[in-house]
Amino acid sequence: MHRRFHDLLPLLLVPALMLSAGGCTPRKKTDTANTLNTYQPSRIKGLDPIYADDIYSGTEVKRAYEGLLQYHYLKRPYELAPNLAEAMPEVSADGRSYTFKLKKGVLFQDDPCFKETGGQGRELTADDVVYSFLRLVDPRLVSTGWWVLDGKIEGLNEWRESAKHAPPDYTKPITGLQALDRYTVRITLVRRSAQFLFALAMPFTSIVPREAVQHYGKEFLNHPVGTGPFRMAEFDRNSRLVWVKNPTYRKELYPSEGESGDKEAGLLEDAGKPIPFLDRIVVQVFDETHPQWLSFLSGKLDATGIPKDNFAEAVGGNHDLTPELQKKGIRLHKNPGIDIVRTTFNMKDPLVGRNKLLRQAISLAYDAEPYIELFFNGRAIPAQGPIPPGVAGFDPDFKNPYRQYNLEKAKELLAKAGYPGGKGLPPLEYSATADGVSRQTTEYLQKLLAPLGIKLKVNTYSWPEFQAGVKNARGQLWSYAWNADYPDAENFLQLFYSKNASPGPNDANYSNPEFDRLYEKALQLQDGPERTALYQQMVRIVVEDCPWIFAVHRSIFSLVQPWVKNYKRHGFEHNAMKYYRVDPALKKQ
Amino acid sequence: MTVYLLRKLLGTIPTIFGVALIVFLLFHVVGGDPTYQMLGKYATAEQVAELRHQLGFDQPLHRQFVGFLREIVTFDFGESYATKQKVSRMILDGIVPSLSLTLPAFFLTTLIAVVIGLLVAYFRGRWIDRVTVLLCVLGMSVPVLAYILFGQYFLAYRLQLFPIAGYDPEWPERLVYLALPILISVMVSVGFSVRFYRTALIEETSQDYVRTARAKGLSEPRIYLKHVLKNSLVPIVTNVVMDLPLLVLGAFLLEKFFGIPGLGGITINAVHDSDFQVIKAMTIFQSFLFILGNVLTDVAYTLVDPRVSFDGR
Amino acid sequence: MGAEAGSIANEEVRPARSLWSDAFRRLRRDRLAVLCLLVVLAYAAAALLAQFGWIASPWEQEVGKAFAPPSFDRLELIMGTDFLGRSVLYKVVHGARVAMSVGLLASLISVPIGVLLGATAGYFGGWWDDAVVWFYTTVASIPGIMLLIAITLMLGKGMTAMCIALGATSWVHLARVMRGEFMKHKSREYVVAAESLGAGHSARIFRHIFPNVSHFVIINFSIQFMGAIKAEVILSFLGIGAQGLPSWGVMISDAKDELSRWVFWPWLNGTTPVWWQLAGATSAMFFVVLALNILGDALRDALDPRIK
Repeated sequence: MHRRFHDLLPLLLVPALMLSAGGCTPRKKTDTANTLNTYQPSRIKGLDPIYADDIYSGTEVKRAYEGLLQYHYLKRPYELAPNLAEAMPEVSADGRSYTFKLKKGVLFQDDPCFKETGGQGRELTADDVVYSFLRLVDPRLVSTGWWVLDGKIEGLNEWRESAKHAPPDYTKPITGLQALDRYTVRITLVRRSAQFLFALAMPFTSIVPREAVQHYGKEFLNHPVGTGPFRMAEFDRNSRLVWVKNPTYRKELYPSEGESGDKEAGLLEDAGKPIPFLDRIVVQVFDETHPQWLSFLSGKLDATGIPKDNFAEAVGGNHDLTPELQKKGIRLHKNPGIDIVRTTFNMKDPLVGRNKLLRQAISLAYDAEPYIELFFNGRAIPAQGPIPPGVAGFDPDFKNPYRQYNLEKAKELLAKAGYPGGKGLPPLEYSATADGVSRQTTEYLQKLLAPLGIKLKVNTYSWPEFQAGVKNARGQLWSYAWNADYPDAENFLQLFYSKNASPGPNDANYSNPEFDRLYEKALQLQDGPERTALYQQMVRIVVEDCPWIFAVHRSIFSLVQPWVKNYKRHGFEHNAMKYYRVDPALKKQ
Repeated sequence: MTVYLLRKLLGTIPTIFGVALIVFLLFHVVGGDPTYQMLGKYATAEQVAELRHQLGFDQPLHRQFVGFLREIVTFDFGESYATKQKVSRMILDGIVPSLSLTLPAFFLTTLIAVVIGLLVAYFRGRWIDRVTVLLCVLGMSVPVLAYILFGQYFLAYRLQLFPIAGYDPEWPERLVYLALPILISVMVSVGFSVRFYRTALIEETSQDYVRTARAKGLSEPRIYLKHVLKNSLVPIVTNVVMDLPLLVLGAFLLEKFFGIPGLGGITINAVHDSDFQVIKAMTIFQSFLFILGNVLTDVAYTLVDPRVSFDGR
Repeated sequence: MGAEAGSIANEEVRPARSLWSDAFRRLRRDRLAVLCLLVVLAYAAAALLAQFGWIASPWEQEVGKAFAPPSFDRLELIMGTDFLGRSVLYKVVHGARVAMSVGLLASLISVPIGVLLGATAGYFGGWWDDAVVWFYTTVASIPGIMLLIAITLMLGKGMTAMCIALGATSWVHLARVMRGEFMKHKSREYVVAAESLGAGHSARIFRHIFPNVSHFVIINFSIQFMGAIKAEVILSFLGIGAQGLPSWGVMISDAKDELSRWVFWPWLNGTTPVWWQLAGATSAMFFVVLALNILGDALRDALDPRIK
């Protein structure tokens, strides 16, 4: 504490210094040309992997921490690749058991918490994997990532149950999660699952050393100690994070294959070279988009999304860069976001839940085109069903009969539903959050429903209250976006599985035995035509029942400065920056 | 003096207790439910019940109140619901950046406002007074957002006089980052302050002793600088001290736009997240500052105004 | 006023009457104050007319394309349009409706609380006085904005919650003044005389003393009204104020990002940022707050006999 108040003393001199303050731009002693300047649009909660359930903290966590698996940086469709594991796991004949061999000689970053070695990071072992997974399971830690393992691994739920009443025993043997020797881990699943391995590439399952958790206690979330390519140099969760290259990082190489077109785009120029290329990453937190945008324009940010109100300034009519930005050599990258924005009907509600025609009528009146223009500057496509383009199971030819904007047919269906011209229909209870965009979206929805004679009673909540309402199935409608956790259509279809109903992710509380049967069948199948056919069958069932208004799938436009090399947007890999390279000569210009 | 101060401080205990009680009633009894947010999008009913138990929501009220009093006394408010960070640490981390912005701005504003206030009080009724008052009103009427956006666009981006946004705990870099927000803060508040001090000073110049001083043949600048200013110190000090709690939260827009990790932004984020643990602690913290400010005002009165004695209330 | 309360008391009330007429005469002479009164009345009239849907209605309707800059083509386009192509002018007028009703309702809640607590504390003294003083010192110690946030989060969002929150937080000043005045007045001759004529406590408080100090309520009203309008804007800006209504705070909050959006403006034959929503809402707020400010000062000068 002493130091802090000491910090204030020079303030007394401020008035005198004020006059000489302007003019110069701050020059960091450690600033090298090989620095990447990036940003986060939200404050970073903390850096404990088991709480990294938002993309922002997930990205920061993954700079320092690694998991057994990762995503291949360049290949599309998305594909898993080994990270701390030496290779992809050996799978047993019944498909339930995975055996991982760890890379040898992987070191944790040097940190004072390793007291025995005087601060030198020790080697990663199979016990660390078991320990890190159990932290995710430990009920006292209230992890937000428990769901990735819940009900999946043999003996794990029993361990969690026993840990509720007595202090958890991290050394107790668990049948489904075993360290066979120093470098071998075997995971045995309760039943086959085609999606399980994705969990091992998420931030939640990153490997942490027990020493750091014990040494830092509650402050562990501010002291990352991982095996990753970067280590923390400065952490102010509200304003700035600085990462530097980890000097003890093992030898990892830039990938030497990618999808077609990567070579032409210059993405394979560094093939086979050791990563990371960057010496420093400086992350600035921007609460507001205005300074973020100006910082990018003045070259102080190396890549940025495009704030909706700056879109016209950046991108012209044909969705190409404006000449002004082209002249600066800035590149525009367009990628589909693996997500869906939708409005949910609460199927538990006696009014909207029991009246399919009413839901279909509302869906027909929902005009996505102006919505896309107004809220996304055209950076979205109308959705036809739950599965977005970019994952297996998406059918580009499928047209949802209730998502073709048709006011006449909507009125017809509304009359059939028992409410001609909206007569007799009480105002529908619509839940929304209190932020600006949500309020504007609500106003837009009200405008769309007005011609049908349908009124909304809007209840506004803060984000936590909104979630609590949704999870308790209060209200009749609400809007939400779902971002994929992993590149499999199952992640979207599970949102309709009856066993995932509130407070689970099936917020519509949709329940259809036929759908459930198909879903359970598909879970057992690996990717292939049979599974894709099942997925499409499930989509048709959901679309007919209309528990959601399938609004839009967003696309993501990013701008990149000319000196940033090897940039390729990845929807799931959090640590893409270990592949980035900065060209100092270009940056100087 | 020490006895006086001690008595004053002891006198604040019932108020502190009252503040704790009201804040407790507002937040504990009817406060929101953070469990679903803490558990994320895949929450299960089992986890919800477990978490509530851990947070002590199932304890009787008086037990919770005692727990809350303990939190206040030890300045340990537990962990934020939204971030799992220690609340006391969040507050301590936020104080320095907040004050680094508001204190210099406040000193500058007060200094400039008193100087201008003296000038216009001296020239009151003449064109220089009218123009200044008009400028003050105009300055007050421009919303702070406009100052911020204009400053960032022209002064920082176009003319490159200042960095666009950011914060650095190192000196003198910190000052470089804070220069523009401080400038804007002064621009926004100087109008109001000038008007306030002008009124206070003019009121003082109509007092008898000023007339006496004039009759004695003292020069006008001397009257203003020596007597009027000295005697107006009471309203000035009151204004200064009463503004002190505002220093903590007052600049949340500036903090958000310039990326300054201060308490204003922390509080606003907590409101958006319904992070009651943080809002509660911030409320208590600011109330205490206010109570302390009151005591300091009383003490300051006795120092600047000999007519107020230590014995008076 | 308590004209039927006995002759002696009646005589004592008379100074209050002459105080009022005196005050009106002085207020009328102050041209600036009259102008400000007219401004406030104009806002109130606009709010009332908008409430009944006689002007600026319906505000929800599209009147042009999105973000159309100001033009003189039609009345509703004078202040341009917002993101859905709705008239900013109409929204500003309806914003006045929100602001005026919040100001009025909040004052209607806080004035009775302040008068009742202050009057009884000053009149009865003793433990009740201690309790009231403790209570308002405590409330005053909690920063108003935090208290407002807490209460609105507790009651849920929207107009009602906001009015209650503002009412519950803004009575302290009035209670303080009332307490002081009642302490002074309760031992005055006219009150003692009323007591000897058999007037009970409530009669003495409300019939005899209150008319003599009621001008403080008026002075306080204008200050509170202004405070409520400002607080409404801040709360709405934070997203915990008016919901589904075009309040000034909501408009300012929307405008914050719009300012970096540039559109073509025929008047300039060039592009301009979208500033009209911000300008409309802030200037609407600025004028009424300024008018109330000056009016409050003038009322104090005219009504408060201490600073004649």
